[in-house]
Amino acid sequence: MKHSIFLFLATFMFASTLYGQDKPIDLGEVLIVADTKLEDFSNTQETTILTDSIIRKSKPSLTNLLNTNTTIYFKENGAGMVSSPSFRGTTAQQTAVVWNGININSQLNGQTDFNTINPTVFDELTVRSGGGSVLYGSGAIGGTIHLTNTLSYKKGFRNSVSLDYGSFDTYGVTYTGEVATNTFSTKIAVNRSGSENDFEYVEKEGKNLNGSFYNTSVNTTIGYKIDEDNTLTLYNYVYDGERHFSLIFPSELPTKYKDFNTRNLLEWKGNFTDFTSKLKLAYLTEEYKYFPNIEKPDFSTANVESFVAKYDAGFTISEDIRVNGVLDFTQNKGEGTNIQQETRNITAFNLLLKHNVSNRFLYEITTRKEITNTYESQFLYSAGASFRATDFYTIKVNTSKNFRIPTFNDLYWQGSGNPDLKPETSYQAELGNHFNFQNFEVGVTTYYNAIQDMIRWLPNGSAWMPVNTDRVKIYGLESQLGWSHTIGKHHFSANATYAYTVSKNDKTDKQLIYVPYHKGTATLGYALDRFSAYYQFLYVGEVFTNSDNDPKFNVDAYNLSTVGLDYSFGKNKNHTLGFTVRNLLNTAYESVASRAMPGRNYNLHINLNF
Amino acid sequence: MKRIVSLLILALVVSFSFSSCSSDDDAITDDDGGEPLGEYDNGSFILNEGNGNPATASIAFLGDDGILVNDIFRSVNPDADEIGSFLQNMFFDDTRAFIISGSANSVTVVDRYTFEYIATVTGDFEAPRYGAVANGFAYVTNTGDFSTGDDDFFTAINLQDYSTTRIDLNNWSEKVLEENGKLYIANGYYGDGNSISIFNPQSNTVEATIDLGPNNSPNSLKVEDGVLYVLTSGFDVQSKVFEIDLGSNEIADTVSVPSEIGRASNLVVEDDLVYFTSGASVYSVGVDENNISTEPVLTYESNSEYGVMYGFNVEEDGIYISDGGDFSSNSKAFKYSLDGTLLETYTVGVGPNGFYEND
Repeated sequence: MKHSIFLFLATFMFASTLYGQDKPIDLGEVLIVADTKLEDFSNTQETTILTDSIIRKSKPSLTNLLNTNTTIYFKENGAGMVSSPSFRGTTAQQTAVVWNGININSQLNGQTDFNTINPTVFDELTVRSGGGSVLYGSGAIGGTIHLTNTLSYKKGFRNSVSLDYGSFDTYGVTYTGEVATNTFSTKIAVNRSGSENDFEYVEKEGKNLNGSFYNTSVNTTIGYKIDEDNTLTLYNYVYDGERHFSLIFPSELPTKYKDFNTRNLLEWKGNFTDFTSKLKLAYLTEEYKYFPNIEKPDFSTANVESFVAKYDAGFTISEDIRVNGVLDFTQNKGEGTNIQQETRNITAFNLLLKHNVSNRFLYEITTRKEITNTYESQFLYSAGASFRATDFYTIKVNTSKNFRIPTFNDLYWQGSGNPDLKPETSYQAELGNHFNFQNFEVGVTTYYNAIQDMIRWLPNGSAWMPVNTDRVKIYGLESQLGWSHTIGKHHFSANATYAYTVSKNDKTDKQLIYVPYHKGTATLGYALDRFSAYYQFLYVGEVFTNSDNDPKFNVDAYNLSTVGLDYSFGKNKNHTLGFTVRNLLNTAYESVASRAMPGRNYNLHINLNF
Repeated sequence: MKRIVSLLILALVVSFSFSSCSSDDDAITDDDGGEPLGEYDNGSFILNEGNGNPATASIAFLGDDGILVNDIFRSVNPDADEIGSFLQNMFFDDTRAFIISGSANSVTVVDRYTFEYIATVTGDFEAPRYGAVANGFAYVTNTGDFSTGDDDFFTAINLQDYSTTRIDLNNWSEKVLEENGKLYIANGYYGDGNSISIFNPQSNTVEATIDLGPNNSPNSLKVEDGVLYVLTSGFDVQSKVFEIDLGSNEIADTVSVPSEIGRASNLVVEDDLVYFTSGASVYSVGVDENNISTEPVLTYESNSEYGVMYGFNVEEDGIYISDGGDFSSNSKAFKYSLDGTLLETYTVGVGPNGFYEND
């Protein structure tokens, strides 16, 4: 068995240098997407869409999916453990995760742990580079990650079941069901994932202890067309997970962590001749429990419930000019072991303008002003233009002011919280170049980002207190390349990304810790009839882990290879059987210092559609 | 969240960083001036606690000759495993040094003069803090849950075979020292707990508790000439120096730290002077005096917003200070003369939290 796998791999490695990946599935149906701003007001920035077919290859982790397909760097505190992004050299709290148009970063610590989101219950993932605080609020500084569910009103009853099983007792079960008529559509996606995660270390003694995890995600979307013009859509997303945090030393006290999050959104959309009306009501809850000693029942906890109401009126002034006025209100109510009950209200008004001057030139201006009693509210903006200079070349410019507001922990942590904190603010500008010729698509974006009033926890006497302190200057380059080609039945594709990032503390002139100068990804795919295969490559440059950039403590650069083979079966090729090998070369590597990551591992999956 | 927890743990580490552990009480020494017993005789160890990455934790040796050697454990024992990070405290018996790691939940035993690795002790630890040796056992205080003293306990390490047993103390238990076969435990931290326990290692029981009065949490303690000196601090209460007569276990005298000085920590008694610190300043008062001058012996320059006066000790030849820096880079240690003149500046490891004399 082992022998034949390697034989296959060797053959494949040769083939993969020549061929490419299967094309994303074109759903080709009427889609209702709550996050319409993503399409309407992202024309002057870079967006990357990851569709269903790519999502299904990267199960079960959002970290893995984004790490291998985008320029975002991830710092993973051991496999499956807390995972935080650095997007364009920013901190974990400066990337916003947006679920169907609603920002779902934690109100407690300001960030999203990318290992607590299972991508298989979403239909589409979009990565939007650069500032987006006007549209997506706090934390949209480095960029935003959009988790999107779609609905179709195409009559039918569709089901899909996916099972996967792999090394270290890692499993995943996903069911997706969809029922639709002309006026009613509902879709449910349920996933259960888990792993013993007890891999043997590569190149050293011992194995990953106390690293097991499991989680359940349920995502439901229900849509109803009231009449020709009006649609009601209800979105619901529940995540329930438990992780044991892995150990560096076997003698450490084992700990565990539970997450329970719910997100609910009701949207009423009215489409009229020159006017669109959208009312959104969202109710979100988040809760964690941290057990500092697994043997004991004691835990610390906190929870926040948030209520969001948003009204969006869109006017088509003329064929080329579109204006939106958005009024939104957010209330967050939180309490916990170390946070007394606090309520925060934020009201904001947004004005958005898009003007297609000609079919070659458009510009967008968006603004936001908030009113709140919790922090000094700011005026945010974004302005950009896109110009298609030639058939194959488009240039985009964008500048924006964005922010990250203080979190509940920052403001209200007992004995430490600092109610006088200001938001972190970022001024940024970018220039994007896009080339399109024949089967090639190339994007090269350069950017500059100055962030001030970074919130950091510093000691104040014997207690620690968050204060607005550092300034950070970031500049860099992001590039993407896409290519696909078909000869007869042979379909080839290649995708690659590369990012160069300089992110320096203004005072010390040192690169921020855990921000690599270089990161690159590449995917080569090949499909023939019922077979498709891919090879994926990831390079992460070395990162500093100490603020003085002492190279003695650097986490070394690493590169990882993944290969996968899928076979479609059934009359309409609607079922798939697949096999994936990750960390093909059994490389010993760490994402975070001293946290060994798994060596070569295998995954077998089957996907049935009926 | 994880970050906050580690910050809080770090905050506790900050506020209770060890003051002094001059080991001259319990060591069989080379009688000062004889042949050194190893490479690391005649000088002080500097414990660099490190951060979440065990590679950043290290131990330096500053010889009486003024020469600093960094990272001695790894250079002496290149093949040994990492000893953990958040190195909390170091203590000694005649021949061995014991190094407590908060993150690895373990005690590493080395030869105190050659620093050769001897053993790693694990089991029966839960957030170990400080230790002392008595009656053939090493006693290590454990915090357990940081928010309560009820679950605090001793891990007793049999120094013959390094087996461990657990002895419940059920009272805030932090710093501990040995004197005349008894252990004196500082019951309190962070403003909670306000007594000293006297522990009998023959019977493994607490035989007396000395109440220091409301809000007077012991911060650091030291024995000199039959007197136990205890520095207390707490929220909204003046710091005080208690002098406890070890013959009667009675509080013989209490001296208040003037409120202008603020909250005090890092008590050291050296040569009939009581030293302590507040902020970046060092103060001193004669052991028989009752008024503390608000004029500092010295105030050092710290660029650190994080860990001012993170490690402190006074020896015969000078005052030693280490600065916590930002806990994410190599930091500094300073040697001052006893009258407050800066003599030397050294670059040490990450988060230097204490000096341990080895003579």
